[in-house]
Amino acid sequence: MRTLSKILFTTALFGTAVTMAITPAAAQQAAKGSVITVATIGEPPTLDPVGVTADLVSVITQHMFETLYTFDREWKVIPLVASAMPTLSADGKSYTIPLRTGVKFHDGSTMTADDVVASLERWTKVSPRGKTTASVIESITAKNGSVVIALKEPFAPLISLLAMNNGAAAIMPKSVIDGANPVKSFIGTGPYKLLEHKPDQYIRVTRFDGYVSPEGPANGYGGKREAKIEEVRFVPVPNATTRVEGMVAGQYGFADSLPAEMLPRIKGASGVTPVVVKPFGFPLMIMNSKAGTFANQAVRQAVLAALGPSDMLTAAFGDPSFFALEGSIYAPGTNFYDADSAKGYNQNNPKKAADMLKAAGYKNEPVRIMTSMQYDFLYKMSLVAQAQLQQAGFNVDLQVLDWATLIQRRGNEKEWDAFFTYHTFVPEPSLITFVNPSYPGWWDTSEKKAALAKFNTEMDPAKRKALWAEIQKLFYTQVPTIKVGEFYNLAAATAKLKGYVPMPWPFFWNAELAN
Amino acid sequence: MASASPTILLLRQLRRRPVVLAAAAVLGIILAVALLSPWIVPYDPMKMDILNRLKPPVGGHWFGTDEFGRDVLSRVMQGTRLSLLVGFLVVILATALGAVLGLLGGYIRALDGALMRFTDALMAFPDILLAIAFMAALGPSLFNVVLALGVVYTPRVARVVRAATLVLRELPFVEAATALGATTPRIVLRHVLPNLLSPMIVQGTFIFAYAILTEAALSFLGVGVPPTTPTWGNMIAGAQQYFRQADWLILFPGLAIVLTVLSLQMVGDGLRDALDPRLQKVT
Amino acid sequence: MLAYIVRRLGGMLLVMLIVAAVVFMIARVVPGDPAAVMLGAAATPEDIAALRTRMGLDQPLLVQFVIYLKQILSFDLGDSIFLNRPVTQALAERAELTTSLTLMSVGIAVAIGTPIGIISAVYRGRTLDQATVAFAMLAASVPSFWIGLTLIKYLAVDLPWFPVAGYGPPEATFLERLHHLVLPAIALGIPNSALILRFTRTSMLDVLGEDYVRTARAKGLPPKVVILKHALRNAMIPILTVIGLTTAVMIAGAIVTETVFGLPGVGNLIVSAVLRRDYPVIQGALLVVSGLYVLINLAVDLLYAVVDPRVRY
Repeated sequence: MRTLSKILFTTALFGTAVTMAITPAAAQQAAKGSVITVATIGEPPTLDPVGVTADLVSVITQHMFETLYTFDREWKVIPLVASAMPTLSADGKSYTIPLRTGVKFHDGSTMTADDVVASLERWTKVSPRGKTTASVIESITAKNGSVVIALKEPFAPLISLLAMNNGAAAIMPKSVIDGANPVKSFIGTGPYKLLEHKPDQYIRVTRFDGYVSPEGPANGYGGKREAKIEEVRFVPVPNATTRVEGMVAGQYGFADSLPAEMLPRIKGASGVTPVVVKPFGFPLMIMNSKAGTFANQAVRQAVLAALGPSDMLTAAFGDPSFFALEGSIYAPGTNFYDADSAKGYNQNNPKKAADMLKAAGYKNEPVRIMTSMQYDFLYKMSLVAQAQLQQAGFNVDLQVLDWATLIQRRGNEKEWDAFFTYHTFVPEPSLITFVNPSYPGWWDTSEKKAALAKFNTEMDPAKRKALWAEIQKLFYTQVPTIKVGEFYNLAAATAKLKGYVPMPWPFFWNAELAN
Repeated sequence: MASASPTILLLRQLRRRPVVLAAAAVLGIILAVALLSPWIVPYDPMKMDILNRLKPPVGGHWFGTDEFGRDVLSRVMQGTRLSLLVGFLVVILATALGAVLGLLGGYIRALDGALMRFTDALMAFPDILLAIAFMAALGPSLFNVVLALGVVYTPRVARVVRAATLVLRELPFVEAATALGATTPRIVLRHVLPNLLSPMIVQGTFIFAYAILTEAALSFLGVGVPPTTPTWGNMIAGAQQYFRQADWLILFPGLAIVLTVLSLQMVGDGLRDALDPRLQKVT
Repeated sequence: MLAYIVRRLGGMLLVMLIVAAVVFMIARVVPGDPAAVMLGAAATPEDIAALRTRMGLDQPLLVQFVIYLKQILSFDLGDSIFLNRPVTQALAERAELTTSLTLMSVGIAVAIGTPIGIISAVYRGRTLDQATVAFAMLAASVPSFWIGLTLIKYLAVDLPWFPVAGYGPPEATFLERLHHLVLPAIALGIPNSALILRFTRTSMLDVLGEDYVRTARAKGLPPKVVILKHALRNAMIPILTVIGLTTAVMIAGAIVTETVFGLPGVGNLIVSAVLRRDYPVIQGALLVVSGLYVLINLAVDLLYAVVDPRVRY
């Protein structure tokens, strides 16, 4: 038996050596106060909220970074880092944004108007949303502690864009921005600051003691913000079942983006409360209007005729209380809802589609539809769509890719005909990705261009509503994209979590953990 | 060294070991399902019926239905066809490549060292890791899985063939043929290769089993056959979300894997015992 | 003896060189510019040009390979595209978990395989023996991810005895970490116990047939003493060999297990890297794991030579 112990000892020694070599020198400091562990859908590609529009990045980074404006619970824009709503010049081409004074960055420095100018300039260069404003913006300057944005022409969506927290116009110190892109350190003005990031394991943010909160009662993302929980810990858990079961077992304090069919499991577990966010978003099948088979509008119309959103949504979400058949891009109850211009939705008519295809001159060319398993519901509805399109006579080549590859590939119009994605609810229509002509799919017909220009330069809310209906009518005649329906997000929180306000991007300031 | 054909030996072995006989029978049924599945499936395996999704196994759908309302039994049957196809093609590829490398190594001294180092290096990668590396480079597809696993299992065949060749070339009947002036290719084809058949069949049976297991693991990890193809591994991977409310989605494809791999290994064992008298004594 | 060790080390170096060559080829087999592939989608043309120069992509393939080898020898495995850190660091951060998981699984595989193997050999040919042989074959036929999912369902979900997934919070104690590894180690250990079981049985059978065991029996020593003292001692060497080999295999088996249980180890890193097209990580992890595999195999061989005087070189 001597030899056995020898071998085991050798193996153990070897193991220990490895262990010792890799244990990080910085010992884990135990959190003094309360900690909430949040199970997210995966590892974010970055912690810089400016460069990407990924929801996951927004969820995490909104605790660290703040924008000039944000949204209240009715999706109205309210000030955050700004001290008040901007004053507009008479021609609608100059915005003066007053700033709050004494706002502190996580590095201890005090925010100045120069920091804001640098941040906004970076946003126009780096952010997919900011880039769309670059052509309208004349200049961004600091003036007496305010920031002045001069425009070439009136641009109604500007303040909503500044309030978005993905592709966000996040305010960072000028010194960080001048360093490099991507930024090397993540210093914001938010109620939490970054403590530690271990990819694929956790991201820890802790209370920022120097935080200066906006005035007024808490309202949606705005108003008073207070970090009552000492530490928020984001843990990537890509497997949805694991998020649910870990939640039930008490491993997590909050779990995001859960399969709707797990609702009974969550309801039945003690100490866990389901959190339903409604409205949340809408799944989309974006078609390539620029090149390939779907560049033919008549073929796209046949797709619209062939698809049956009811089956697609049922397969994706199971529980009917988590989705709604709704063709209007904005759901009932929201400002831009319009049913009349959404005719053509939910036809589920393979025969009609087949006839339309024949008339369109479709010759059984394979249509490449990209989907991803990272978003389980998208994958499932794409499978149903494939079956429905095949029934109508389409030759479907369904390509299952990882999400990162899909994002990469969709940039090249030669590589695909359609892809599945989803869009979170945004209060301002021009923030919707496919409205942007440079977004993959490239919906940029002359009719749409004209309609969008009218919409963006109109400042009167009532007139904008009617102009949006015009765009939606075009959406259902030119069919650049299929809106599959509405869906709601299921999350779960520990029953100890008090004062939590459900919003599409979950946040944890103002919430607290009861003992 | 004119040995009886493996079939006869196997049959003889079977009579002595009823367990192997049972395994062979099970394997036979599995093969039949694989071959006949397009005609004997109770439902179209791809046909969706969203209203009847996640129905437990009761009359009508013996194995229940999946999240699209597709018949799980039909899908497991079609999966049999696909998984066995992958296994079979891997065996063919690995055996062909391995036989060539092994014969070259066994017959051409100058090449032997280099070839064996090469197979050593390939075997320095754990099976699944090398397969993942290939899939990372090639991208997911059924053909690429076959290619990757075929290469992964080539060294096993190469070693067996080389070892057997080294023995065979020294045997009297081969030496006699050489003395009579037969060319090397002729000797290899007429005298050596037929005698390699038995070890290659035994090895092939095991590779078949490993290939099915590894293919399932690759598909489960999402780096194997594209997930829309209903192989067993893909079926289990896709059903993870429902494993609590609909465990039949994981149970049946899993059982199919276990049953197939188990019967393959048992038949492989039986074959080896039948074909290798030395081992038989021990067992 | 020394000559044998030198020869084995030489052989290992050659094998590692070929391993490096295979790993080297991966980023070059992928369609597209290797530098662009290595940097991912977000790379700027300047970044790509800089890496092209560093990798020597305008040079002949052989020169590129030499550059690559030089980098490996200076422990430079490149930078991860997705994780924004050197590959060596990413691997080091995850090595502890995978090491612990492997050791624990080996422990379980040995705990199952050796005693059952001994019993099987002692009761050779009887029902108990046949049952254990059948068990071994069954264990080797079950996919470890299937065992993992089943364990999660029954022992973590239905009965909440073990955590569902993960490696615990950052401040978890050693015991809590071990608790998180129990189910994964079982899922990985069971299939790998089969080989140990069969090997133990075979070598015990060999030894039980030897003269000195028969002599011991004839002397009237109690069977327990004969089996454990005389036979097992001599059967140990081949058993140890197979334990060593199993350890090497398990490092790779951890890839699947870590994915099932959401454990952030090296295996999980490899799978995520494939899904994220993070080629520097794939290459680095491949090189390191294969290197370990080769080293363990070498260590087993050398130990074998040291402890067994009958082995000739």
